[in-house]
Amino acid sequence: MATITCERITKRYGGVVAVDALDLTIRHGEFMVLLGPSGCGKTTTLNMIAGLEEISEGRLLFDDKDVTWQPPHKREVAMVFQSYALYPNKTVRENIAFPLQLRRTPREEITRAVTEVAEQLEIGHLLDRRPSQLSGGQRQRVALGRAIVRKPSVFLMDEPLSNLDATLRLSMRSLIKHLHHRLRATFVYVTHDQAEAMTLADRIAVMKGGLVQQLDTPEGIYARPANTFVAAFLGSPQINLVQGEIAPDGSFARGAFRLALPPGAAQPGRAVTLGLRPEDVGTLAPGLARLEARVDLVSPLGSETHLEVVAGDDVKLTLRVPKEWRAQEGQVIAVGVDPARLHLFDATTDARL
Amino acid sequence: MSGALERRPGPRRRPALGYDERNAAILVFPVVAVLLVVAAYPILYSFWVSLHDIVLTRPLRRPFVGFDNYLRIFDDERFWLAVSRTTVYTVVTVAVTTLLAVLVALLLNEAFPGQRILSALLLVPWATPSVVNGLMWKWIYDPTYGLLNALLVQLGLLERYRAWLGDPDLTLLLIANAAVWKQMPLAALLLIVTMKAIPDDLYRAAKVDGANVFQRFIHVTLPALRPGLMLVLVYETMISIRHFDLFLIMTQGGPGDASFTLSWLIYVETFRSLRFGTGAAMSYVLAMATFLLSWALIRWLGKRI
Amino acid sequence: MAGRPIAPRLGRALLLAVFSALFVLYVAGPVAWLVSSSLQTEAQITAVPPNWLPPELNFGNFDAILNAAERQVTYETRRQGDPATGGFLPSGAANLLPSLWNSLTVGLWVAALNLLLSITAAYAIAVIDFRGRRATLYTVLATRVVPDIALIVPLFLVIRNLGLINTLGALVVTYLAITVPFTIFILISYFEGIPRDLYRAARIDGCGHWRALRHVYLPLSLPALVASLTFAFLTSWNEFVFALVLTQNVAAQTLPIVISGFVMDFTTSFSFVNAAGVIAIIPPVVMAVLFQRYIVSGLTAGAVKG
Repeated sequence: MATITCERITKRYGGVVAVDALDLTIRHGEFMVLLGPSGCGKTTTLNMIAGLEEISEGRLLFDDKDVTWQPPHKREVAMVFQSYALYPNKTVRENIAFPLQLRRTPREEITRAVTEVAEQLEIGHLLDRRPSQLSGGQRQRVALGRAIVRKPSVFLMDEPLSNLDATLRLSMRSLIKHLHHRLRATFVYVTHDQAEAMTLADRIAVMKGGLVQQLDTPEGIYARPANTFVAAFLGSPQINLVQGEIAPDGSFARGAFRLALPPGAAQPGRAVTLGLRPEDVGTLAPGLARLEARVDLVSPLGSETHLEVVAGDDVKLTLRVPKEWRAQEGQVIAVGVDPARLHLFDATTDARL
Repeated sequence: MSGALERRPGPRRRPALGYDERNAAILVFPVVAVLLVVAAYPILYSFWVSLHDIVLTRPLRRPFVGFDNYLRIFDDERFWLAVSRTTVYTVVTVAVTTLLAVLVALLLNEAFPGQRILSALLLVPWATPSVVNGLMWKWIYDPTYGLLNALLVQLGLLERYRAWLGDPDLTLLLIANAAVWKQMPLAALLLIVTMKAIPDDLYRAAKVDGANVFQRFIHVTLPALRPGLMLVLVYETMISIRHFDLFLIMTQGGPGDASFTLSWLIYVETFRSLRFGTGAAMSYVLAMATFLLSWALIRWLGKRI
Repeated sequence: MAGRPIAPRLGRALLLAVFSALFVLYVAGPVAWLVSSSLQTEAQITAVPPNWLPPELNFGNFDAILNAAERQVTYETRRQGDPATGGFLPSGAANLLPSLWNSLTVGLWVAALNLLLSITAAYAIAVIDFRGRRATLYTVLATRVVPDIALIVPLFLVIRNLGLINTLGALVVTYLAITVPFTIFILISYFEGIPRDLYRAARIDGCGHWRALRHVYLPLSLPALVASLTFAFLTSWNEFVFALVLTQNVAAQTLPIVISGFVMDFTTSFSFVNAAGVIAIIPPVVMAVLFQRYIVSGLTAGAVKG
C-alpha cells in the first residue's frame, strides 16, 4: 500500500518558490529518482513527502489517504540521509533498534530483526561500535539498516551516496538496487548524479527551478530528452548542442557547417538547436549523414577514445569513438551520423521539436 | 492514530493548530507563564509606578502625574552628579577589564606546563559571590590592618598607612578594582574562545610572510578578536553601568558623595526616601540609557574595530 | 623542535613564567589573603606588620560559626578573651548556619527548575518552526534588559501578593526570572549546533517532539546542561540585592545577606567575617573548577552567536 500522489504541491520560503505546483504520482513498488542540480527543489520535494517540511499549497496522498498535515513520525516512511544521521551517542545496534523501540516492539523481536538486518548488510561485526568508529561506507550501511529494519512501504533517500568515494559508491549502488528488488517497496531517491539516476531508476523526474522538466524511464529520457536542459544533464560526455537554423534543403546549417536531417524534421528558416550525442557517430555508411571535422584533441580512455573536433567554422563537438580509431591531432576526419538519432530543439523555448 | 482518521481523507485545509504549533505551545508555555508573572508583570507595573507620584510615607494619595517624574529627574542635581560618577566608574572598569582580559587571554591561549591549572584558577574570581568580593577588598583596603597598606609600606612605596576608601579621589577607582577582579575572568574566557577559533593557517601564513610576534598580534589576532571584543565591551558596559552590590557593601555611596552612582541613587530614592514613583522613573531612564548605549556601541564598534 | 635555537625558547619560557606569576598573584592573591586571615586569631590579624601566613592554623573562627547556635552571647562573654574563640560573636552569628542551608536549598531548586523550564522552551525555539517563534525568543531575552534594581519594588509587591515574602519560594521564583532567559539562550545555541539531519532522522524513525528531545537532543547536550546547572546555582548562591529586599528574617535569609550584615556591623571581628567569607566562597569555587570544561563549552555556545 504505497502509491504516493503529489497534487499541485507548492513550497514557498517567503517570496521564493522552491517547488512550483508539482504533480507527480509515484507508483507502488516503483523506484523513482528525483534528479537535478542543487537548488532545483528535489530535496524540498522529498522533505515534503517525508513530512519534514510543511506543504505550502496542494495535497499529498499516500494511496487514498491525505497525509498533507500529518507529522513525519505518523507517516511510516523510512529515510536515508547524505550525512548518514546516525545517533552518535548510540551504538550501531542501538541505532538500528531505535525505530523498533519507539514502536514498542517486543525485545526478542527487536533482537531478531536487528540480527537479520545486520546479516543482510554484512555489518554484524560492527554492532557494538559507535558511529564515530566506522568508515563512511559502514555508516551508510548502518543508516540503511535503520531504515529497512521497520519494513516500511516507502523509502526516501536524500543523496545517500554523495559522501562516499567512487568505488564505494558503485558497490552501494548495487546494494540499494538489490534492496529494492527484495523489499518491493516504493523508493524515492534524490540525487544530482545522472549515472546513479540512470542505473537505479524505474522512472526519473528531472527537476529544475522547482518544476519537473521531464518524467520518464531512464531510456526514454536519454533517447528523447524533452528540452536542452534535460539533454545536457544526462549523458557523459555531455550532448553536443549547436545553435543554427534549418537550411532551404531541410538540413541543419550553421555557417559552413551542414548536417542532413530526416526529411521534414522542421520548417526551413526556423532557428533551432541541434543535439548530437557524442556516441552517435560511426564509420561512414550508406544512409548516414556525413560529418567532416578537424581533430583538435585526442583523449584515449582505454575502453574508448574521446575526440574534440571542430566542424565548419566554429562548431566544436565532442565525439566518442572506438579505441581502435587512431586519429591524429590536426587530421581531418569524416564520420557518419544517423539522422534519426539527432535531436532538435526550438531555439527560443529549448523544447524538443 | 485513530481508525476513523485512517479511513476518512484528512483535512484539505491547514488545521488551525498543526502538530508543530500545538507542541511548541505546550513546550513554551511554562516558561512564558513564569516569566509573565515574575518578569513581564513587574516590568510593566514598575512603568505604571513611574507615572504616579507614589511616596510610601503618604500611602493613600498616589496621583497620576504622567511623565513629571521623568522630567523632575533632569532638574535633580543629584542625578547629574550620579551620571558623572557612573561614567567614571564605568569607563575605568570596562577599559581595565578589557585590557587585562586581552593579556590574560593571550597568556592562557599559549600551551605551557601549568596552563590548565591557571585556567582553573581563572574561574575563582568569577565564582566568588559579590558580597564576599566586597568584604575581601574592604579588608585589603582596611586603614589599620589591611594588606594594601602593609604591602606598600614594606615595599617602601608608602610612608604612612592611609584610609584608602576614605579618600574621595580614590574610592571609585578602588571599587572599580574590586569589580575588575571579579569581571575579568568571564571577559578573558570569551576572548580565549574567540582566539581558539582563529585558524592556525593564518598564523603560519603570517610567519611565512615574515611577521614577528607583535605584527602577528596586530594583523592576525586583533582583527579576528573583533567579535569577542565587541561582546566583552558591550557586556561589561551593561554590567558596570548598573552595578550596585559593591557600592552597598563597600562605601554606601560615600565618603560624602564620592561613590554616588546611578544605581545607588535609585536605591536611596526608593528605599531610604521611599519615593517609589521617582525611583521607578530613574530605573527606566537607566534602562533606556543602557539599552541605547549598547546599541550605539554595537553599531560604532561594528564599523570601527 | 630540536633544531631550533635555544635563546628564543628560553626567552619565551621566561616571559611565560613572569606573566604566569603575575597572573597567579593577581587572581589568587586576594583570596589567599582572605583564607589566611580566616585561620588567624583576632590578635594575630590585627598585628602590625601583618602575618602573611597564619603563625599556626587556628580553626576557632570556623568552630565558632558551626557552634554559634549553642553559645550564649552576653555582655560578659563578649568581654572575655579572644574573639576567635567564639566568646565575641556578632549578633547575627547564629544565623550563619541556617542561611548556609537556605542558600543551598534555594540554589538546588533554582538549578533544577531552571533546567526543567528552559529545556522545553529552548527546544521549541531552536528546533520547531512555529508561528510566534521569534516573538517568543525576543520576549524571553527582553526581560533581561531592565536593570534588576528597577524590578525590586514591583517584584516585592508581586511576591507579597503571592504570599511568599520571607520564604525561600520567593527567592526561587525570582532567581528563575534571572536565570531562565540566559539558560534558554545557551541551550538554543547548543541545540542549533546539533546537526539538523539527526532531528530529521529521529522524526522519521518515529519520534514526536517530546521523544526527539528526550532521545536525541538531551543525550547530546550534556555539556550545555551541566553548564546551565552550574550557572543557575552560582547565580542563585551569589545573588544579593533581591534577597536583601525579599527576605527579612532567619527563615529565608541567604548567606550573602547574613555576611553583608557582618560587614556593616562595626563590632564584628575581622577574622570571623573572613571565615564566613571563606565558607561562602567554597561551594561556588569548587563547583566552577569541577565543571570547568562544561562552563567554557557553555560559554562557547553562547559566544559564537554573540
